[in-house]
Amino acid sequence: MVIQCIFEGLVIGSILALISMGVALIWGVMNVLSFSQGEFLMIGMYITYLFNQKFGLDPIFSIPFAAIVMFVVGVLIYKGLIRKALKGPVLSQRLVTFALSMVLVNGMLMLATSEFRTIPKVMFTGTIDFGFLVISKEKLVPLIVSAIVTLLLFLFMNRTKSGKGIRATSMDKDAAELVGINIELSYTLSFGIASAIAGVAGCVLSYYYYITPTSGSSFLLFGLIAVALGGFGSIFGAYAGGILMGLVDVFAGVYFNTAFKYVVVCILFMLVVSFRPKGLFGK
Amino acid sequence: MKNYIHSKSQFMIRFLIGLLAAALLPLFIKTPFAVHVMILICIWAILGMGWNFIGGYAGQVSNGHALFYGIGAYSCAIGMKSFGATPWVTMWIGVAISVGLAFVLGAPLLRLKGHYFAVATMAIGESGRIIFLNWSAVGGATGVDFLEKTKPAWYTMQFTSKYSYYYIYLIFVTIILMLTKVLDKSKFGYYLRAIKANEESAQSVGINTSRYKMLAFMLSAGVVSLAGSLYANYLQYIDPMVVMPLNVSLMICLVAVMGGIGTVIGPVIGAIVLTVISEYTRAAFSSVRGFDLFLYGILVILIVIFLPDGLVSLFKRKKQKVLTPLEMEGKIK
Repeated sequence: MVIQCIFEGLVIGSILALISMGVALIWGVMNVLSFSQGEFLMIGMYITYLFNQKFGLDPIFSIPFAAIVMFVVGVLIYKGLIRKALKGPVLSQRLVTFALSMVLVNGMLMLATSEFRTIPKVMFTGTIDFGFLVISKEKLVPLIVSAIVTLLLFLFMNRTKSGKGIRATSMDKDAAELVGINIELSYTLSFGIASAIAGVAGCVLSYYYYITPTSGSSFLLFGLIAVALGGFGSIFGAYAGGILMGLVDVFAGVYFNTAFKYVVVCILFMLVVSFRPKGLFGK
Repeated sequence: MKNYIHSKSQFMIRFLIGLLAAALLPLFIKTPFAVHVMILICIWAILGMGWNFIGGYAGQVSNGHALFYGIGAYSCAIGMKSFGATPWVTMWIGVAISVGLAFVLGAPLLRLKGHYFAVATMAIGESGRIIFLNWSAVGGATGVDFLEKTKPAWYTMQFTSKYSYYYIYLIFVTIILMLTKVLDKSKFGYYLRAIKANEESAQSVGINTSRYKMLAFMLSAGVVSLAGSLYANYLQYIDPMVVMPLNVSLMICLVAVMGGIGTVIGPVIGAIVLTVISEYTRAAFSSVRGFDLFLYGILVILIVIFLPDGLVSLFKRKKQKVLTPLEMEGKIK
């Protein structure tokens, strides 16, 4: 039972980790708390659904499409909206992303109605039974995809020039600008990448979660808490925060009370930030 | 000093004109919907002003004030439904509970800074909603329906005429507005502004920052709770999804930000504009689901981007820009 819980927690945790990495990226680089991340996930789910309906594609094949489409969407939103909002005070930046999420949810509601959709046929079905652990195959996908995305993001941030530029920007904007780093490019890339990651999260989530315009909102808050829990300094912190949230979520649901698992998460969060106001791994 | 007195009397004149206009407005308005909108404006104005104490003046941006809003609403609803108590008393019980809770929660919360504070208050607000949603003694997800017809209207605060609500709520708005005005120019107000500008510096000049932040948090919780009570009495039905969702918390911020945070009149202006937009778009586009909020979101984005300092900045005279030496040189040439 404990092992089963750990597995389920890791699965949910890896999806939360995907969202929280996006939030952490935007938080770290632009100092904006992005409320629209959950809606990017929702759009990713609809893209997956569309590909599935039109071409009969398994969600796993729509991952690259969703990532590219969401990257472009993210870049456009940054160029058209966030860049302008960044000139205003911190609070109005946050509220712009909140209003954006409202626009996206209700725009999707107009386009796709509030009907609950699921993806009917998927490639991975059935379970692997180890006796002490039953793994449904479709749940392995988020686990693996999330690990790969994290690895890719890590490599991008540490090995490539643009990635290093983003890191430099997040450390000290003025100093980065002084040594010739294109801040604008860093901002655009990080917003695009954050949206793309959320899109990928949407793909893997659509394996076993219903698709409706408000699907993303419930994950957003967990994603935000995960980032604050891990400390926004690093991708690793966000990933760990997400996984930890997933584990707490499942364990509290199984051993305590499903209804109050959220409260448990909050209490844990409050305890952590009482002792470490900048999160577990924050500097 | 003379200037200060002048600005004070100017404020009083404007304030009285505004109040007179607000009081006379119902004489010209005969549609119930318009009065409904005006009542909601009063409630949102109180919410915005309440949030403004901690979020606007002290700069600690809380995204969880729906918790106190819900407590205020529930204290009146439960008070009436289970004990038949008059809202005139239970609303103050709600305020007391909210202020007490703010005191308890404030200790760990107010140590957090910036986005951490926002996320933590959001988490607390949502936990509150979940607790109320699963708490069967207060109606759980079905909520509380506390329409009471046997007792006199002045006792239950449930009137058949919308005008009575409007005038009573207008009195509350006036009181809170006066309170804000007094605090705006008091030591307390300046301390909070100093904390907002730079907490370390404020501390170094001898301001007990944690104490004043706590006071502002408690004050704002109490005022928001009062608005919750008023809203519940107007609706006579509440459930956790009506009074406590995350959206309400964020809308409270939005009202203040849109009007102009840290200003006396800002939240009231924000409440007027936002409520009018949201209620009229809802009424006009009820046929297409989602279109009203879609439009609302777009309008909010436009206002926030083009007026980052809020709608008050429209009314302020442009301050003379202080020129840098370089620009000065350019001017002389």
